[in-house]
Amino acid sequence: MGQTAWGWLTVIYLFLGGLGAGAFLTAAFFELSGWRYERDYSPTCLTGATVSGPMVALGSLLLIFDLGAGKLQPWRILHMFTHFRSVMTWGIWILSIFIPLGLIYGLLELIEVEPFIRGLAQAWLRPKVRSCRRLVAIVGSIFAVGTAVHTGVLISAVGPAVPLWSQPLLPFLPVPLLPVLFLILAISTGLGLSFDLTATIALRGIHEQTRSLRSVQVRIMSLIRIILISLETVLITLLFISALNAGGAAAESARLVLYGSFSVVFWVGVVLIGLVCPFLIYAYVIGVGHQPLLLGLISGLGVMIAGLSLRYLIIAAGIPAFL
Amino acid sequence: MAPRPLSRRAFLRSALGAGVAAAVGGAALIARRIAIAAPTPSPLSPHARGGERGGVARYALIIDTTRCVGCGACVKACNIRNNLPGGKSYIRIFPRGGELDRWFLPVQCQHCANPPCAHVCPTRATYRRSDGVVLINEKRCVGCKYCEVACPYQARTFDEKRGVVDKCWLCLDDVLAGGEPACVQACVLGARLFGRQDDPNSEVARLISSGEAKPLHPEFGTQPSVLYYIV
Repeated sequence: MGQTAWGWLTVIYLFLGGLGAGAFLTAAFFELSGWRYERDYSPTCLTGATVSGPMVALGSLLLIFDLGAGKLQPWRILHMFTHFRSVMTWGIWILSIFIPLGLIYGLLELIEVEPFIRGLAQAWLRPKVRSCRRLVAIVGSIFAVGTAVHTGVLISAVGPAVPLWSQPLLPFLPVPLLPVLFLILAISTGLGLSFDLTATIALRGIHEQTRSLRSVQVRIMSLIRIILISLETVLITLLFISALNAGGAAAESARLVLYGSFSVVFWVGVVLIGLVCPFLIYAYVIGVGHQPLLLGLISGLGVMIAGLSLRYLIIAAGIPAFL
Repeated sequence: MAPRPLSRRAFLRSALGAGVAAAVGGAALIARRIAIAAPTPSPLSPHARGGERGGVARYALIIDTTRCVGCGACVKACNIRNNLPGGKSYIRIFPRGGELDRWFLPVQCQHCANPPCAHVCPTRATYRRSDGVVLINEKRCVGCKYCEVACPYQARTFDEKRGVVDKCWLCLDDVLAGGEPACVQACVLGARLFGRQDDPNSEVARLISSGEAKPLHPEFGTQPSVLYYIV
């Protein structure tokens, strides 16, 4: 079996970190592309922005609960800011910057819809909300990418101890694969939550007569999703091929996932629900040009389930090189 | 221009300097006296002379797997010495080989010169001393277990009660007092050899330089201070 030091809590905070970062990137994309103003995609921006900060904050809180002495004596956590050789220290810094930015971004979105927060905002701020939001979107996106990439860097940095986690992107390229895969998973799950789920549910009301989301943007977004799913498929394939080729503990991990005790989670949770179903749905949406409510729900939930399952598999099947 | 006579300030400064130098020299002489009068320190002590670098010790533990029969005396001694609760140990003994060529591989913290645990530790709780011993400062450890995952030898355990990571520390207080780690003392078959690899006359240095003692998994790039004699 895989390593035991990190368990479910780790899986969940890696997932929440990725989801929050992806939600932020989605909202920032709709904000900066101007689609938010062209067509009524404000629900996507609203969800993405308001959810990002709290999600990542919740993930960080779980991370603290996962600590030993740091949980009992929280002032020790301050030491975690000090060792710049450790990627966990980088992560703590990225999170400490990203969480406030996410929360500010959420408030700047809530100003549009919540009269109470609008009342709290000073008069001089109100005319500048849009430019403030753009600024926060740009700066925050850098840290959102940092947060998403870091979830992969954190576990690939253990190097030879767990060979599955430190597989290279390509055999001749000594860049770890997991940070790239986790970034794409983060964007995918963020879009699943704030575009597929929110936009389809919210816009059902706006497009009452068709009960579906219909626009050029839907086609473009579906195309982006198909590209993301293809990239995920390629990366997952590369990961397991390179693990099988590496032999030893890496191959053992890959066999555990592909046809061992985790195979059901992998083939159903990741491949069927998270890759095949959404792929077919997005292909259909590009063809017909609108996204019906039910299909939006299936694809949105599908990519989120896949994001959680794949992280679980990678953590749980990480067999140490030496036992 | 004629050379300036020594100013009052400069004179005082040089007089003071001479005084301090004399005092330091005197103190050094007295200290030497005392050192000569004191009993010769154990060859294992970090202050013992004879090492290449005149006193900075570099410890090594060599485990001879041709002598180890897997009796577990080292594990017992370690558990008693470090007050470990049952079921937990800093040393794990792996049976290797088949039914007919069974041999045993005892593994504990390898005290690496390039320790992955210390590199990943976010708080610098894990660090390496100049004598090669890798320690954990339990006052800094937050218990994130990153080091436990990153240790390629899986030599770390988690102390649930105190919430910190724990491992072999080569019984450093005994070693600094001139003794040996508990596991070495306990090994009746002499499968464990402890010494200073900086002392060219020591047995460990001989085994290391002759290439008979080899690190476990050199491909990890960790450069351990615990070495193995495996046939």
